[in-house]
Amino acid sequence: MAIRRKRSFSDLIDEYFKDLEEWTQEFGEPLAERPSWNLKNRSIEPLRETSITPTEVLITLDLPFTDKNTVKVKPVGKSILEVSAKMNRVIKSGDLGVTHWRGEFQKYHSHMRIPVQVNMDKMKVNYKKGLLEIHLPRKH
Amino acid sequence: MTEEVKIVERNRVPSGATLIFGFPDVGLVGVIAASHLIDELKLSEVAYVDSELLPPLIVLHEGLPHSSIRILGDDKLVLAISEAPIPADIVYPVMNALIEWARSKNVAMMISLGGIPMQDRQDATELKAFAAASTPEALKIAQDKNVETLTEGYMIGPQAIMLQRAANTGTPALALLAQCFPNYPDPEAAAEVLKGLGKITGLKVNVAKLLEKGEEIRLRARDVMKRTQDEMSKMKKGQELDIPMYVS
Repeated sequence: MAIRRKRSFSDLIDEYFKDLEEWTQEFGEPLAERPSWNLKNRSIEPLRETSITPTEVLITLDLPFTDKNTVKVKPVGKSILEVSAKMNRVIKSGDLGVTHWRGEFQKYHSHMRIPVQVNMDKMKVNYKKGLLEIHLPRKH
Repeated sequence: MTEEVKIVERNRVPSGATLIFGFPDVGLVGVIAASHLIDELKLSEVAYVDSELLPPLIVLHEGLPHSSIRILGDDKLVLAISEAPIPADIVYPVMNALIEWARSKNVAMMISLGGIPMQDRQDATELKAFAAASTPEALKIAQDKNVETLTEGYMIGPQAIMLQRAANTGTPALALLAQCFPNYPDPEAAAEVLKGLGKITGLKVNVAKLLEKGEEIRLRARDVMKRTQDEMSKMKKGQELDIPMYVS
């Protein structure tokens, strides 16, 4: 009888993203567009940029209206990173010029898959003027 | 004016004015700077771009529809701004129509406001603005005002077409570009480019309010920045960071 290894939560997330990417590639259709905010979670998805060098993966996120001590960077398994940060003021939909729906936002939330193998244990994080930098050394 | 892209005038457009462009590009520098100019100088809409080449998109302001590319102005200055990224495949016809229209209005000079991607921008304590021009005479205007020259390199996007077309017709034009974050809205770079514009044109623009609202602008401009990134990627905007090949 084949023994199935018990899969961790992070393995399941990894698998989900892999399946999703394969599905997208196979059918060649883009996924439905979704907004960059989530009213239920009162969160906004920040702009982010990932660059890969021979030695590291550098991820930056733009987090205006945040304080350094509220930023949390949490590895989820080997290849997923979850970033959250509390805003230092509540942003109402009206503050963003929106009048046809009402809501407010209190935090940023983003989670991303790291495209190459990295050493999560050696992650370094810098924060300067609302810009978060995450350095992840690559595994070779 | 090309058949496919029309400039529809709503109000009288002054002859012999300076035409400023603020289109979505790296760091949204041009759009942020142009938007601040509109507020500060209380410019009102004088014309807009109408074309079926544009995506089926309108911008609503106070419940009324507007073209995403509008021209605002006063007696001395006109300013073309786009509130949505211009699709890469229609940059040529849109810019050709705007430049032809500008020539019909005897525009004295065209100045495109924008950014130039900077590595490690977050560590920069001081930003610089650079200028490139359509003619040696136009370049001298910037140099005489101590604006550094962008001597060698590649330029991609609406300002590249503007400089090339203006050079072909001998129209004075400048691309004024401040060092910026490539993929994040950069109000500090917009303030720097406005200081450069002030030096060149003598226009006095208070950038204090722009800097004060920096975080708010960064938050509000996220979605436009994201969509602009998609168009920049189609134009291979990253080539602006390439080291130019030496050809004498």
